[in-house]
Amino acid sequence: MNDQVRIIRFKVIHRLFHLFIMVTFLIQAVTGLGRLLYPTTWGKALTNFFGGYESISTIHIRVGVVMLLGFGVHIVYILLKVEWKALRQSLFHPDSLLPRPRDAIHLGQQVRWFFGLGPPPAFDRWTYWEKFDYWAVFWGMPLLGVTGLLLIYPLFTSYFMPGWVLNVTLLLHRAEALLAMLYIFIIHFTVGHFRHGMFPMNECMFAGSVELEEVRREKPLWIVRLEDEGKLADAMIPAPAPWFRVAYFIFGYLALAMGLYLLLILLIYRNYVEWH
Amino acid sequence: MRSRRLLRRRILWMALGGLGLLLVLPAAAPAQEEVTSSIRRYKERETSTGYYEEYEAKPRRMRSFVGVPGVLRPSFPYSPKAAEIRIRTYLADSHRGVNFYEMRTCVECHAEEARNIHSTRGNITCRQCHGSEPIASIAHYYSPLNPVRRHAYVCSKCHEGSDASFATYVVHEPKPGSLETRKTFPSLFYANWFMYLLIVGTLGFFVLHTTVWVSKELYHVFTEKERKPEDE
Repeated sequence: MNDQVRIIRFKVIHRLFHLFIMVTFLIQAVTGLGRLLYPTTWGKALTNFFGGYESISTIHIRVGVVMLLGFGVHIVYILLKVEWKALRQSLFHPDSLLPRPRDAIHLGQQVRWFFGLGPPPAFDRWTYWEKFDYWAVFWGMPLLGVTGLLLIYPLFTSYFMPGWVLNVTLLLHRAEALLAMLYIFIIHFTVGHFRHGMFPMNECMFAGSVELEEVRREKPLWIVRLEDEGKLADAMIPAPAPWFRVAYFIFGYLALAMGLYLLLILLIYRNYVEWH
Repeated sequence: MRSRRLLRRRILWMALGGLGLLLVLPAAAPAQEEVTSSIRRYKERETSTGYYEEYEAKPRRMRSFVGVPGVLRPSFPYSPKAAEIRIRTYLADSHRGVNFYEMRTCVECHAEEARNIHSTRGNITCRQCHGSEPIASIAHYYSPLNPVRRHAYVCSKCHEGSDASFATYVVHEPKPGSLETRKTFPSLFYANWFMYLLIVGTLGFFVLHTTVWVSKELYHVFTEKERKPEDE
């Protein structure tokens, strides 16, 4: 691994954001499922592990608030990152995560490639599914956050809107949380860990860097762009230390195991999963 | 100059002292509320017999014998059997005429109603909200669950300070996907179908996308493995 040429893809702060959302999301998934499946034996056991229904709810609420604060920090980070003087260029630059018309073209090319009707699309730094991953969280956070905040103090909420809004709010919160869990545990894990090119793990979100040869194969336009701008040499960084690799492999696989276990639980208790 | 500085210092100390007092002294208002709050009074109503017969205005007993189609039912509109039961939401004893009522439990008939957050999470029993026998229909004018007093008589037993707005929370939610709900609770109906389509759409698309993708890559792996020995 040490003699590979690696280029940087995620800075430390990006990786910290991912680590943050990973940890908080898993805590929310576990405590949320404990509450959702409380009528089942599994739910009761898990709830008892956390110290009872009241206490598991408190953890869910507090971690949720922390999650929202983190989302706020992320928004501040974005606002600081955007170059306001060259707004248009900054927003639609290939390094930006905003969707562009080209992403739709890439999707079409990818589907054609699936069925052997053409070559695979030449991606830039962000592929369309990576952008979708990002925006899915961006849409899910405010929805889960706002509905969650309304549900923390139902009485206070009812001073400003009729109480039946809480019925709708709870439905939205549960349905969106289920969607998020299913999406992460099925799609995101498969794309990140189990795809042929990725197995056993797509390390770039933890290591921050990717092998140059791999990027040349999967995201050729990015390398071409870096070469044209003469930034390729700057983008090269040394490989992660072995102890760090061991650490994030263990951590990543623990998170993976936890997610797959929760997915299994969702399947086993599917009759108890109600979103109303 | 000196006296002004002294004065400034004094004001500063007084302000700090005032802040300290604010922290130490008990707040006056909530304590008073505990005594005068009408909700506290209502919470004790189950032990005070006949409390609200005394204070509440009774509706007049008389009603006209004339029926107005769609608005007012005539006085004797039913067959003798139907008259036993009538429309249950207005009866003082909503279970009037139910055979072997004493031998049965609530959930035998109201199975769906038992599946709500209050029962499954809070361990609330039916009678803790609906009261003891005879259980009045929720629209009956003496029922504690009548919307005019539900918040004060029932909700505020646990949710202190609840008002009529809070009490519009639907404890026994209708099935959000059914067409009946479109009439009774449209926002729940549309929220449900929006989320349903979002989930099915997102997962449907990406599960297909990922499955085809993974199999395509595996296909490439196997075909390349087959080719290599031939090339050699």
